[in-house]
Amino acid sequence: MMLLKIFFEFFKIGAVTFGGGQAMLPLLQRELVVNLQWISMDKFLYFVSVAEVTPGPVALNMATFIGYELKGIVGAIFATGGIVAPSFIVILFIAMIAPKFRENKIYKRFMSGIKPVIVALLVNAIYLITVRGFKTLVPYIMAVAAFLVFSKWKVNPVILLLIMGAVGMLVL
Amino acid sequence: MRLNLLIRIVDSKGIKKSIKLFSIFFYIGLFTIGGGYAMIPLMRESLVKKEKYIDEDKFLEIFAISQITPGPIAINMATFIGYEQEGIIGSAFATLGIVLPSLIIITIISMFFVNITKFTPLQKLFIGILTGVTGEIAYLTFDMTRKMKIKVFNVSILLFSLTELFLLKLNPIYVILIGGALGLLFGKSGNGK
Repeated sequence: MMLLKIFFEFFKIGAVTFGGGQAMLPLLQRELVVNLQWISMDKFLYFVSVAEVTPGPVALNMATFIGYELKGIVGAIFATGGIVAPSFIVILFIAMIAPKFRENKIYKRFMSGIKPVIVALLVNAIYLITVRGFKTLVPYIMAVAAFLVFSKWKVNPVILLLIMGAVGMLVL
Repeated sequence: MRLNLLIRIVDSKGIKKSIKLFSIFFYIGLFTIGGGYAMIPLMRESLVKKEKYIDEDKFLEIFAISQITPGPIAINMATFIGYEQEGIIGSAFATLGIVLPSLIIITIISMFFVNITKFTPLQKLFIGILTGVTGEIAYLTFDMTRKMKIKVFNVSILLFSLTELFLLKLNPIYVILIGGALGLLFGKSGNGK
């Protein structure tokens, strides 16, 4: 019974949050900490701090954390399933009808306005990462170095991340 | 007999491709550190550049759709690209791939209840990785800007979007929808370039 509750709680949150994991956090907090009181505020904040620095999307990390806290591994699987299901259903539907509207003139005009927006979103992402994570000048210099290396030698992005991580451990 | 059937299923092209999709998205999920945008350079590298599953325009289109539909962007993109490549089976495999690293890593952390955020070397590792993520997103931004035609239409939407994000602090979904609306009003129905 509790497992189904966990699934539907996360399903609900997955279905109504737009704009990725960060947008999901306030809603998770209101539902799970304040309304249902499944976990304490302290624990929630601890989960957020770990979810942000571990691999994988923040939303999925939070679902696994909270699900595990409530009902162990099975709870983690149900919570993750709940957060994934709405996305999966909605996107499957869109992907199925996509070939029909791709040649549509209205759709093409709509998409023609999106590309410059994506550039702006990327600039915003850089701003958010640097403002939150970089406390001294050194990381900024490292980021510029990473940019130069990446644009000049087209290194594999994962290798570059690992190298920068190692450099960070040495110089930060 | 039954084993033969199993081998035949695993050997079939669709399943092979689905397993490939699973491994690509597992890899992306494993190395997405520092929020959803961190995976964009990774996805572009493996899906557009290396495997050539989709072209750049389609990739950006799927990215935009994933942002304006409910749910985490990473899952939306995995489901979408999985379906485009190999139907429902492909989308299920791709989604499972992006989900598993989180599920495994966080479960292990929960089991041992280690507060990794208090551990200084890991903090340094994380900030180091973030500098790499920043450099890669910066390159992507640079590359997209370079390929974009300098036209009043593109430049005005870019500046307008930046204003919306930085000064008005609008949610990215609205910024995308407004960009799309401007496209409807002033854009061309050609190939959008």
